[in-house]
Amino acid sequence: MTLAMWLAIFATLYGLGMWLLLPRRIAAGRAAGAVLMTAAVAILGTRLVPPGALTTNILFYALAAVTVVSAVCAMTFRSPVYSAIFFAVSVLATAGLFLVNGAQFLGVAMVVVYAGAIVVMFLFVLMLAQPEGLAFYDRLAFEPLLCSVSSGVLVFLLTITLLTPGTLPSVAPLAEAGADGRAADGLPGVEAEAHVAAIGARLFSEHLISVQVVGVLLFVALVAAAAIASQSRRSPPPRTAEGGTA
Amino acid sequence: MNEVALLQNYLVVGGLLFAIGLVGFMTRRNTIVMFIALEMMMQGVAVSLVAWSRFHNDFSGQMLVIMIIAVAACEAAIALSLILMLARRSSNLDIAFWQLLREEGQEPTLDEEVPAAEIEHEPWPELTPAGVEPELDPEKVRYRSHV
Amino acid sequence: MFEPQLLMRVIPALPLAAAVAIALLGPRVLKRSCHALLVVALLGSLVASVLLARQVLTAGAHGEDHAGKNHAAAAASPEADEHSTAAEIPQTTLWRWAAVEGATSSSAATYASSGGEPFAESQPLDFTIDITLRADALTAIMLVMVTFVSLLVAIYSIGYMHDDRGYWRFFSYVGLFVFSMTMLVLSSNFLLLYVFWEAVGVCSYLLIGFWYEKPEASAAGKKAFLVNRVGDFGFALGIFLIWTLFGTLNFHDTSAIDGVLGLNRIEAAAYPAGIVATAICLLLFVGACGKSAQFPLHVWLPDAMEGPTPVSALIHAATMVTAGIYMVARCTPLFAASGYAGYVVAGIGGFTALLAGLIAVTQTDLKRVLAYSTVSQLGYMFLALGVGSAAGIAAGMFHLITHAFFKALLFLGAGSVMHAMGGVIDMRRFGGLRRLMPVTHWTFLIGCLALAGLFPLAGFWSKDAILAAVYDEAAAHGTGDWEHAATFFNYLFLVASFTAFLTAFYTFRAFFRTFYGEERIPPEAGHHAHESPAVMTVPLMILAVLAAVSGYLLHVNETFAHWLAQTPGIPAVVHHEGHSSSHSFVAMLSTILAVGGIGLAAYFYLGELTQIDRIARWLRPLYVASYGKFWFDPLYQLLIVGPLWLLAQLAYFLDRYLIDGLVNLVGYLPRVFGGVLRRVQNGMLQLYVLGMIVALLLLAAAVVLPRLPVPEKPAESEATSVQPSPAPIRVGHRPPTLPSPDHTSRPLRGEGVR
Repeated sequence: MTLAMWLAIFATLYGLGMWLLLPRRIAAGRAAGAVLMTAAVAILGTRLVPPGALTTNILFYALAAVTVVSAVCAMTFRSPVYSAIFFAVSVLATAGLFLVNGAQFLGVAMVVVYAGAIVVMFLFVLMLAQPEGLAFYDRLAFEPLLCSVSSGVLVFLLTITLLTPGTLPSVAPLAEAGADGRAADGLPGVEAEAHVAAIGARLFSEHLISVQVVGVLLFVALVAAAAIASQSRRSPPPRTAEGGTA
Repeated sequence: MNEVALLQNYLVVGGLLFAIGLVGFMTRRNTIVMFIALEMMMQGVAVSLVAWSRFHNDFSGQMLVIMIIAVAACEAAIALSLILMLARRSSNLDIAFWQLLREEGQEPTLDEEVPAAEIEHEPWPELTPAGVEPELDPEKVRYRSHV
Repeated sequence: MFEPQLLMRVIPALPLAAAVAIALLGPRVLKRSCHALLVVALLGSLVASVLLARQVLTAGAHGEDHAGKNHAAAAASPEADEHSTAAEIPQTTLWRWAAVEGATSSSAATYASSGGEPFAESQPLDFTIDITLRADALTAIMLVMVTFVSLLVAIYSIGYMHDDRGYWRFFSYVGLFVFSMTMLVLSSNFLLLYVFWEAVGVCSYLLIGFWYEKPEASAAGKKAFLVNRVGDFGFALGIFLIWTLFGTLNFHDTSAIDGVLGLNRIEAAAYPAGIVATAICLLLFVGACGKSAQFPLHVWLPDAMEGPTPVSALIHAATMVTAGIYMVARCTPLFAASGYAGYVVAGIGGFTALLAGLIAVTQTDLKRVLAYSTVSQLGYMFLALGVGSAAGIAAGMFHLITHAFFKALLFLGAGSVMHAMGGVIDMRRFGGLRRLMPVTHWTFLIGCLALAGLFPLAGFWSKDAILAAVYDEAAAHGTGDWEHAATFFNYLFLVASFTAFLTAFYTFRAFFRTFYGEERIPPEAGHHAHESPAVMTVPLMILAVLAAVSGYLLHVNETFAHWLAQTPGIPAVVHHEGHSSSHSFVAMLSTILAVGGIGLAAYFYLGELTQIDRIARWLRPLYVASYGKFWFDPLYQLLIVGPLWLLAQLAYFLDRYLIDGLVNLVGYLPRVFGGVLRRVQNGMLQLYVLGMIVALLLLAAAVVLPRLPVPEKPAESEATSVQPSPAPIRVGHRPPTLPSPDHTSRPLRGEGVR
């Protein structure tokens, strides 16, 4: 079996599983979809090259599996509340992946900003806008088959491009530079103690203007959000738009 | 440590996150879930950036991710307030409600029939309206109707 | 007194100014008083024309030994001396219209002047067209006639058009026409002549189709315009030939070159002879045939009667249709040089006179009878011009003037009848109107007598002059080589005499059927059935007086001939014959013929109409042919209009269905594709994302798949995953054009912090 065939099987299973999992008219087949999706993730896992030592491998595979599976769950569960919660799980696992990959600060930031702030905000909005729970439009997906097929093609193209030997640089720029400070266990390329300090130093020296711009952006967004939200309060009573709600 | 394999694996994970987010964005009709899907796609991009940052031993990728997180926060604030406004106008979160910007003479894409049968049989979680004490319906309590 | 140069500018300027003012102010400001402006302008033009004519005619007559009563006083005026010593022909240049340097060579000019010998040395000459006005005797006579008739017609129109919706439009057109006509006779250049030749054609077209809501009127306008194009085509070719030969189109001499009709050339008789001259003359004559409605282009004039009757009187009887006569008379030196062209002119003229007279005998439409009579009389004039003698040309122009008076009178009288009968002009539907419309009756009678040529009315003198000229010409060619010519002119004399008889007959047929017999009034007349108002009858009376006396006044002492002889070119080049003693014979003959025609008409048409029916049955083939106008219209329809119509239909269908179809297809295809694509544009955001993703996937597949490594065993590989590629680039090997990246030499961005 060539890599392409494996990946084709993976993409097919993925697409099929995604189609079965997505909200549809019929509830049947979701378990089969879960099985197929799990199989697809497993097949893809077998195609990956273990990156290093055993601990690292275990950590990576576990976190990656949690990330992907919870992402699938977030997209396919019918309740938006569950979606938000699974998204939080996915974000947490991604933070773990960041830690494994030597980006400790980002891992923490992801947890704080995404899982801590944004997901909570989602839940608040859900509470405000959809207090009655599950609505009919959460049980109907738009063009599930077409989207699943295109997504399957997309993951096939992505994985075959990434996993075919030779498409990526075959040698890391600093592969031989293991001596100059890279930890032996393959964890962060820079010393852990110096990491946040180094990021901070870079952030406020090299990227100072970007930081300022982002700060301004945040402020503007704050004002805008407040303005929009207050405007909506004064807005006239809901009018019936054509289409939409049946 | 196989740096190339590490990069490859992280990129695959990032690509998968992106693809899954894309499916969610295209299929789900709840605006909040669509927004979650959007965030997930950005997360996939962030994973890829971090992997490249590691590979090149260069902080620029991580810097970019920091910016992404900040922009995502802005985006979340504005998008959620917009969603809130739309929800107030249409009294739901359905994106299909907002299809007025179409070609003249084009029939609206009508909703499919609501599968009514599932409503009774499946217990769906329900959020308590903020600041209101939930009324405990003894029949609903059996179905774990609140989260 | 006034300078002739000033008068020449004033004469056309006043009608033009009136026309423009009426066109601009008519519908809003002037409304029902448009006529005042035009009448005042035409009166001014008439006064200026008379003044100009006095100066021109007396200046030219100075020193000549004759004592015409009419201008004895004028010759005594002191101004006459000044002008006779100055330039013999007053002319004025308004501005230079066109100037092309070195457009022609002097050899062309000298070719003509040297009688056909090519000049060895040729120098480039400038081709210039000046807007030059020039007034000689011929022009002056025409000017007086045109402005006088148009003034009377304009006054008459006040009554005739009084409740028409296009009141202001009518007077504006008439003003424009008078401007064009005066400019036509004043212009001193063939190109300018052509321009105003077309301008009067346009005015004629506009006025024939004045009631454009009527399909017949618009069709008649179109017909007149198109038939005239045939003649104008010949005219244009003639002008081209003149320019090729003479190197100039000017009538007058300039410092650079002798004019075509200039004094220098006339005195030197420097005209080419032979076939080239004949060609020029015949081409010009084609143009004259079109404008003056001669066979075979006569078919437009009867249809032109669809226009308002004052227009028929002014344009289609008195002035515009005589432009062809004027042009041939103006080009007398050319025709004289040709030798043969005159026979063609005379032949066509005589044939047309007879043909139109025969048709006029049976027409029942009063205006059409008069129209065919006009065609016939124009043929008479051409016959006279074709004779080529001084007497002939003088007779032709004389008939032109008298005919203008009595034919305008007849048309205006017919208009008066038509006005009273509520637009009905068919003679079978009314009759016995002499008690109802006494003024019209008497003036019409005078016009008829004049047209019939009864002594001593105007028509008698001019028609007699023409017959005499033809008779003299036949006699002059009596023997020798010219025997055929003599036979030719003898036949023409017979034809002309018979036509004179016919003229008297059909004129009085119309007169008797209209004014005598049982009084019948069609129901359309309504309350109109009474004598016309004074504003219409006074012009009739003035014209009646002129129709009665103008012939004698102009004929006595050969006044008109002497006036015309002052035109340079006419006396110098035409051959003179001694006055024969035959005039009394001709006069007696024509009087007998006229009286006979009148008597025959009275016999047939006074009282019961039983006799004429018997005659019509007896001469059935001739009657049918005449009533059917000798089938010229169906013939042209079959031979010319039909094929052209078929061709046009073909072109129409090609254009409509092939070319338009292609163009529409070009426009239709995007609509079809758009119709397919607009269903995609359904406002669903997610569908747009899906479209983007599908496109992205296609692009990515196109980029990625060909670069994947070819598996070792193609049979085992999945065909879906690997696109066959003729020259697959192995992944890992970048395309050779790209520089190979050197990872090891890249600077380490993180170094600083370590």
